[in-house]
Amino acid sequence: MNPAADAPVTTDTGSAGYVRRTSLWARAATGAMTAAVFMIVVAPPDRLQGDVQRLLYVHVPTAWLAYLAFAVTLLGSAAWLATRRQRWDRLAAASAEVGVVFTGLTLALGSIWGKPVWGVWWTWDPRLVTTALLFFVYLGYLALRRATIDPVLRARRSALLGIVSFIQVPVIHFSVVWWRTLHQPATVLRPSAASMAPSMLAALFASLAAFTLIYVVLLRTRIRLLTLEELAEARTAERPVAGDDVRPVAVAGGTSDG
Amino acid sequence: MKSATLLLSLGGVAAVLTGFLVFGGLGDNLTYYLTPTEAVDQRDDFADGRRFRLAGDVQPGSVVEAEDGLEFVVADGGEAVRVLHDGLPPQLFSEGIEVVVEGLWEDDVFMSYTMLVKHDEEYYPPSEEASP
Repeated sequence: MNPAADAPVTTDTGSAGYVRRTSLWARAATGAMTAAVFMIVVAPPDRLQGDVQRLLYVHVPTAWLAYLAFAVTLLGSAAWLATRRQRWDRLAAASAEVGVVFTGLTLALGSIWGKPVWGVWWTWDPRLVTTALLFFVYLGYLALRRATIDPVLRARRSALLGIVSFIQVPVIHFSVVWWRTLHQPATVLRPSAASMAPSMLAALFASLAAFTLIYVVLLRTRIRLLTLEELAEARTAERPVAGDDVRPVAVAGGTSDG
Repeated sequence: MKSATLLLSLGGVAAVLTGFLVFGGLGDNLTYYLTPTEAVDQRDDFADGRRFRLAGDVQPGSVVEAEDGLEFVVADGGEAVRVLHDGLPPQLFSEGIEVVVEGLWEDDVFMSYTMLVKHDEEYYPPSEEASP
């Protein structure tokens, strides 16, 4: 079965597409710079942690993006199972890749925050362990994608894994409520009002918006690359291979009538 | 068949990794720490120098410098435990803050080798205090 058969491949190589992509990058960069001003200038230092607390403005958005990215993978996986359309598989794959990057960033930034505040880079706290597990499971998802060659089989397997793995996200979110942890509970995503100064909350939301825009840009770029890869593969399949033009050499003065 | 084997081995690796993380690293620590009340109640379980984590509020006025470290009392409203910490405390350590200490019982004193400072989920500038 030809993987590109059911996918209307749009390469979008024209100048209009280029302009649109560039302006999306420009918007993401503008958003990031605005957020940086908020988190460095507008937000005050924390009463206990001082300037170290500013790490919250990058640690929380990367964690949020990990949740969001894997939710998109879940949706893409479910949509692929329902429709069997290649584009949903591409969406799930691209989002998982971006999600793994942001999960890794969350762990690294959390570690950098943990050292000065908690006193350790790492501890076997349920929130930390479940997040590390999330990272490894989705690395496994990416490994599974690399290990399966047939596109339909790959889509089916990764769709199942993409759905099952998502169960970890709510577990991680509620880990600080269900178990005893060193990690503090949620400041914003909780039943009562956010326990944060308004200017800090503004910086957090500016950062969340900027990071989400970066996610959208990365996701679109990755999907486009996947589409181009599939197109290239389809073209390779049609192209003659080496040796196609080689014909058996007729030997002059053959022995048959000899 | 080859892909089924691959899937099985991938699943196996994932299961081993999960097992290690949950039972190896986390183990009993699914209860990440004991409160002073639980620590006192379960003293017999931790008699033979078994290490565990203890968490409680550093009682104001209880912090004194000791040889190679400091001494203070953690409490949770019920029991209070005297802690002897070996080494420097983290930067955020202060009276009234909640700490997690890793160590063991030595008679009635908890000998701590690692101290972690637990901070809350409230963030405010120095002048403003948490006000609902």
